[in-house]
Amino acid sequence: MKKKLLSLMLGTTMAASLLAGCGGTAAAPAAGNAAAETSAAEAEAPAAEEPVAEATAAAPDEAVTLTVLAGQSTTDAGIEDMIDAALAEKYPNITLEWECVGWDGEFHPKMQQYLQTGVPDIIIGKGQDVATYSSLGILNEIDSTYTDRVLDAANENVTFDGKIYGLVYNALYQGVYYNREMFKENGWDIPKTQEDLQAIIDDCNAKGITPFASHMVDTWSIGNVTMQFMMNDVFNKNPKWGDDFRAGKVSFSEDADAQTCYQYNKLIYDNTFPETFSLEQTDCDAKMVLGEAAMKVSGSWSIQNFLDIDENFDFGIFPFPNQTGDSKLIFEPNIAIMTSSSTEHQDAINCVLDVLTSDQDLAVEIYDYTKTAPMLKGVTPTYPNPSQQDIDKYAADGMVVDVNLGNNQLVWGGFQDENAADIAAWLQGDETFEDCLAASDARVDASSSSTN
Amino acid sequence: MKFKTKVKKPEEQITPKKYTGGTLATQIVMTVLAILFLLPIFMVFNYSFKTKKELYLTSALTLPSSLQFENYKKAFVKLDLSTTFTNTFVYTALSVLILAFLCGMTAWAIARCKGKFFKFSYIYFLVGILIPYQALFLPIYIIGYRLHLTNTRYGIIFMYVATGISFGVFLMTSFMSTVPTELEEAARIDGCSVFKTYFRVVLPLLKPAMATLIIMQSFQIWNDYLLASLYVSKKNLKTLTVVIQSLFSSQTSDYTTAMAAIVISVLPIAVLFLSLQKYFIKGMTVGAVKG
Amino acid sequence: MNRKRKSGMERKMERQYFLIVLPGFVIFTIGLIIPTILAFRYSLTSWDGLSAEKPFVGFQNYVNLLHDSNFLQAWGFTILFTIGNTVIQNVCALLFAVALDSGIRLQKVYRTIFFIPCLISSVIVGFIWLKMYSNVLPEFNEIFGTNINFLLFGSSSTVLPGLLIANNWQWIGYWMLIYLAGLQSIPAELYEAAKVDGAGAFSRFKNITLPMLAPSITICVVGITTGSLKVYDLLVSSTGGGPGRASTSVILHTYNTAISGRQYGYGSAMSVSLVIVLLLVALIQVKSLRSREVQQ
Repeated sequence: MKKKLLSLMLGTTMAASLLAGCGGTAAAPAAGNAAAETSAAEAEAPAAEEPVAEATAAAPDEAVTLTVLAGQSTTDAGIEDMIDAALAEKYPNITLEWECVGWDGEFHPKMQQYLQTGVPDIIIGKGQDVATYSSLGILNEIDSTYTDRVLDAANENVTFDGKIYGLVYNALYQGVYYNREMFKENGWDIPKTQEDLQAIIDDCNAKGITPFASHMVDTWSIGNVTMQFMMNDVFNKNPKWGDDFRAGKVSFSEDADAQTCYQYNKLIYDNTFPETFSLEQTDCDAKMVLGEAAMKVSGSWSIQNFLDIDENFDFGIFPFPNQTGDSKLIFEPNIAIMTSSSTEHQDAINCVLDVLTSDQDLAVEIYDYTKTAPMLKGVTPTYPNPSQQDIDKYAADGMVVDVNLGNNQLVWGGFQDENAADIAAWLQGDETFEDCLAASDARVDASSSSTN
Repeated sequence: MKFKTKVKKPEEQITPKKYTGGTLATQIVMTVLAILFLLPIFMVFNYSFKTKKELYLTSALTLPSSLQFENYKKAFVKLDLSTTFTNTFVYTALSVLILAFLCGMTAWAIARCKGKFFKFSYIYFLVGILIPYQALFLPIYIIGYRLHLTNTRYGIIFMYVATGISFGVFLMTSFMSTVPTELEEAARIDGCSVFKTYFRVVLPLLKPAMATLIIMQSFQIWNDYLLASLYVSKKNLKTLTVVIQSLFSSQTSDYTTAMAAIVISVLPIAVLFLSLQKYFIKGMTVGAVKG
Repeated sequence: MNRKRKSGMERKMERQYFLIVLPGFVIFTIGLIIPTILAFRYSLTSWDGLSAEKPFVGFQNYVNLLHDSNFLQAWGFTILFTIGNTVIQNVCALLFAVALDSGIRLQKVYRTIFFIPCLISSVIVGFIWLKMYSNVLPEFNEIFGTNINFLLFGSSSTVLPGLLIANNWQWIGYWMLIYLAGLQSIPAELYEAAKVDGAGAFSRFKNITLPMLAPSITICVVGITTGSLKVYDLLVSSTGGGPGRASTSVILHTYNTAISGRQYGYGSAMSVSLVIVLLLVALIQVKSLRSREVQQ
């Protein structure tokens, strides 16, 4: 009997080793990474005590592999190869090990995982993530050598306690995209006030044109436009509205301005495609390009779609008019590069930051590819953007505002996106307006972006 | 085919089913239904050959002006097919083999032993069918990380086994009552140990149930999204579903490519299963029909 | 002497059986049970899933759940979705199987066609039907000049039927095969004997087919119910839980709360509640269905 047991155990062991062997074929690099991650996590405490390496961007003598977590929008996917190529040219010793996930649904879960076990060396998220993660103490300050190469306006909202924790690489502009040709033909001027806008809407309806293109099937789009409205009708009057909201001084149920912002959603809903709750963004953008709608409250992410469908589509952008007629165009810092405070390779990280901020060709390539606005000083992208002339005009007049003022006070995940779901339910007639407002108020505890 | 005739034989000898008016009506109804069922698949193929402009400017039902393999080329590159396909295949194959082996053993012991521990084990495993691991992903990740299972091939396989074992034990245990005990007893009287009895006598009898288990779990694992995205994040370890999902996230502007990617990802498993259909249905019978 | 040896032998066997169960037991415990226990532990805290502290709050999360209208709404949707699926899928799968078994030509072709959708991942199925409803089906209105509302995902009143269609499209073929296998294993003699006794078609179906299919029915009912209660993948790439919250399932809501909403402790309480419900439902189902099987 014993013999048989022994033989079985032997068999099992063999099977196990066989299995390990199978995994082993490609597991060699993987195992190495796992080990590296572990050591990084374990070395957290001592690493923090060491003086932070000077940001000289001295190329490492030995081969270094940095782990990178990139939360990307679809428009960003692919820039990792461009960065790899540029890095290989200047610092061939440094290899980036990319983990690219969707910012929308996967980035934060991944970060949660890593917070339990040790964060990657480089984290690429959006501007608004800097507030969340810097408050957890896991980020390193970015050396001024690199942040100096970034526009001052972009650094503002990633600065906490006087330190800059994120390198903002590009930005999106948000507002109302409009069909320039259609506006010319119908003699519409850029609306400054709600009355102006209403006049255009009325004229559209009279002529059988759908005023707004929208794709409310994507709940995020409702959340996005609501924050645009909030910026110009709420935060412009009270830049600390979010903090006051948490302090109990203001609320959605009592603040008429905030309610107006929610009501703008209804204005759009009443003047858009009847199938908006079934219409995906790409299809919606196609309708806009084909002249089925005159305007679309959106952001730069639509440009890629517009031009893909028709490279000659002529469009402009203006801020959604507020009640006081002084709306500003909204700009959103997009790609933001953060670095881990527990890394063992600060030198190598600085080399990467150096490439990102000094390689003009790379920058132009990325801006052209993502169709976004540059945040690096002195870099001009070459892609055609019919709305650029409008952006330049608003920028020159100082009529531009960083949406992270709002996003840092009222966090996206768990607050803005949940409110958007309520707004959708209200538009669908499943919820009363009062309930929708009350639901937002009830979420006050989840509204802060910092965890402390 | 063989299998079918074997079952039908006695019946066909007595009264072969006649093709009556009722049968014709059924035939027509089923044909209509079959066409409806094929419609989404037609759409996927149709879109996968269209150019982006055709997508917006022509009706969804019109055929593409020419067969565009451009989307397939793009999808092929975007999916990194040689890597992801191999990964998915290796994870699936190894997981189901281990599952079949392990579940057969466990279910047999549970079915044959009346001890308290075994009764408890059965219930214990059953509970697992109902636990939505989707809701437990953070603790699952933490455990995996502590045991150095994340970002390894054996780690993800371990998780597939752990999450699939409940169903396997359930299926195998219900099958076990059809396995005659006489042979086992005879083997035991001959002095065979439990292990030897299992390998010599029981295992061969379990083959049909194992086939069912393997087939049913293959789907699950091949199509799994959550565990794969949780446990393997390195590019060289990713699976097909994880990569394909990234092709249709919310701001995708390129769903002709996504459609081509769907075709590419489904085709291998469809061909595999359709060619093994005979065995597949045989396996299903075992699971569903007792005695 | 003899007796003593036997019991020693039995103990030895028992030990060997124990060794056989052990590996599966350990893997299962590590992979699924310990995480469940951890989830329960988290559910007693107000942990946000990010920071180091996990403040203990007792059963407060569970108390809050009972007053959380969004959570209750998610349960409402999940239950309707489950009932709809269990009924439609079982009935359709059985009817399809009976139809295919009725002697029609090209049985294998139909079988293959109905079966193909379940080879596709649910994430993909959701995406396919999103496009079906918004782009493909409305074209038929143009062709036939009809005015059918195909935008099922677009309104909170039609999103459930829309999802049911998608889910049934995916799974009917699968359960149909199980029923088909069950049907084909029923000895034809039984029908012959019933015919001789003068039983009509319906009475034969009720008195022979259904009872003989009992094991298949158990598998299908339990499989469909528990599967539907866990619905998540299908929603991710189709409705995303919308419009509004109309199609937010319990797991989707849990995910949103725990991850995007950074209320991990609260979200854990949701998953624990789901586990408990699933356990109860399945226990009841298995008990009642199995007892019927025994009766037959």
